[in-house]
Amino acid sequence: MRVGIAGVGFMGSTHAAAWAETDARIVGFVAETVEEAQPIAQQYGAKVFAEYAALLDEVDVVDICTPTHLHVPMILEAAAKGKHIICEKPLALSVEDALKAVRACRQAGVHLFVAHVVRFFPEYALAKQIIDQGQIGRIATLRLLRGSYRPKKPVGNWFLDESKSGGILMDLMIHDLDYARWVAGEVESVFARKVSAVHQGSTVDYGLVILEHKNGAISHVAGAWAYPPPTFRTRFELSGDQGMIEFDSQATSPIESLIIKPHSEAPDVGLPSSPVRESPYTTEIKEFYAALKEGKTPRVTAEDGLAAVQIAAAAVQSARSGHVVVLESLAEGLS
Amino acid sequence: MSIRIGIMSFAHLHAEAYIQNLRAIPGVEMIGLADDDPQRGEHFARLFEAHRFRSYEELLEAKPDGVIICSENSRHLPLVKLAAEAGAHILCEKPLATTAQDAEEIVRTCRQAGVLLMTAFPMRFSTPLLEVKSRLDGGELGQVYCFNSSNQGELPKKHRAWFVDKALAGGGAIMDHTVHLVDIMRWYLGSEVSEVYAVANRIFHADEVEVETGGMVWVTFENGVFATIDCSWSRPPYWPSWGGLSFEMVTERGAVWVDAFRQNLTVFTHALQRPYWAFWGSDPNQAMIEDFVQAIRAQRPPRVSGEDGLRAVEVVEAAYQSVQSGQPVRLQRRAL
Repeated sequence: MRVGIAGVGFMGSTHAAAWAETDARIVGFVAETVEEAQPIAQQYGAKVFAEYAALLDEVDVVDICTPTHLHVPMILEAAAKGKHIICEKPLALSVEDALKAVRACRQAGVHLFVAHVVRFFPEYALAKQIIDQGQIGRIATLRLLRGSYRPKKPVGNWFLDESKSGGILMDLMIHDLDYARWVAGEVESVFARKVSAVHQGSTVDYGLVILEHKNGAISHVAGAWAYPPPTFRTRFELSGDQGMIEFDSQATSPIESLIIKPHSEAPDVGLPSSPVRESPYTTEIKEFYAALKEGKTPRVTAEDGLAAVQIAAAAVQSARSGHVVVLESLAEGLS
Repeated sequence: MSIRIGIMSFAHLHAEAYIQNLRAIPGVEMIGLADDDPQRGEHFARLFEAHRFRSYEELLEAKPDGVIICSENSRHLPLVKLAAEAGAHILCEKPLATTAQDAEEIVRTCRQAGVLLMTAFPMRFSTPLLEVKSRLDGGELGQVYCFNSSNQGELPKKHRAWFVDKALAGGGAIMDHTVHLVDIMRWYLGSEVSEVYAVANRIFHADEVEVETGGMVWVTFENGVFATIDCSWSRPPYWPSWGGLSFEMVTERGAVWVDAFRQNLTVFTHALQRPYWAFWGSDPNQAMIEDFVQAIRAQRPPRVSGEDGLRAVEVVEAAYQSVQSGQPVRLQRRAL
């Protein structure tokens, strides 16, 4: 299977490393400029394409790792050419656009997988498994936290441009909004606030979201772009009527480094990392690849990506309006 | 001259701590207790080798300088009236009342009688929380943006059955575990709550109780700060402690994580067959009771007022309205 990767930032290079561990062939890369893509193309013995369309012509599957606002047009173009698609999260910035993407892929008969990588992190996957086994009974409350520093970029920091990233609720917190839905089921209502909506120009951001699930469970999701670099911390507490599961990335970190560094540089975006045999990103790409080859359904589908966008978009709307947002059924939009 | 204090009702388990706190203060005479449940009164009088008055009236006839009221939440008001009439200063267990109406009446009664009224919010005396308050006031944390907070606990039913009885407790987890954090945030911010949103469910212990056992309360302050409070009784009975109180405070300079009960040893025993946390931090109850005594001695307002208790009850009342309506509720503050 021939793979093309669009976008060569952190996610593009991480996915490339993951694809390299499969028997798929990385045909080429496309980025904003040819120069940007040269080093990584060289590293993987692949071509650099000046145009996305040209890349599409030479691949079976395209892995879209570009800024969020570019996802949907790129999906539509790939689907029109009958190419399978893996798309970085969030699938889109609005429900309308996400629906458009999902419908186009259905009509074209191509697979669309959304890279909600948290589902592939071993600690999150294990917690889900323990819950599915019934070990903690019926889920009542979920608390999820993901915190880091505000993403920096040498130029044109699209993360901070809400029209491109959707801001903290859409870009960062969608991870846990998706996870909450995966664990506790469909969401009924959303209430959210974020610091940057209250304090324009604040240098930190923090979002809080409360979800009511259709089965009565309540999720509390917190997201921070507020901590000092290079902090990246995740936490969860999943409580059921027969028990509970706790996780804290800091508490479970097997290594604490107290090494003195004269100059400590933090990466552009905070990254979660605990030493495990296979990177969760690799697990993710391998599962998507197997799904493409064998037609199996992976643990996260296009519809999941769509549902996550709906929850995050509702959070954005709630944070803006101050009102509770009740989710509508997506069935009609999908048909 | 010693300050003489009595305890009215042992319905609330905190009375068991307060009686020992009182006895640890030099110059305080713990004159005894009274309880409308004679069996309960007798039990605790024996346990703590304390004098038991046969009635609240008899206790008040002994002319205590102050009383600590630890009755069921909905029964605070009648005891406050009795004590205030007798001229005794009052430390009342939290929540001050189960309705804002009752809480207001409690505050007014004490004002009219000219007695001091303190709401039992021991977290104002928690050393970790005081440390954060002083950093905040010192300006090193910058402007506060929001809080992500929790006051979770186990089902309190095993301590006292009335905690899960709506008529006596006034509700479930929201009534039990919202007020401390509301008070902490009011104290930190010097701002009042303007809006409340809350969701609740009854999945934990669904077959044992009829009140809500899971809940998240969302408060917005007049100064724009917003906060969530997880008030759930989500801690299983085999958790290493009764529960806890913790929060993340986000400011313009980052965030501070605070756990009021983290100063623990983790103890493993053959007898218990599970770890438990033994707290070695400073006892906030002790400092609170000492402040009550000092307030009486100096005839000055205690560091937590009755109004503080009322404001927290107003938030709780609004939270229940929000659970009913599914919408955020604008808070109507009672004028005093």
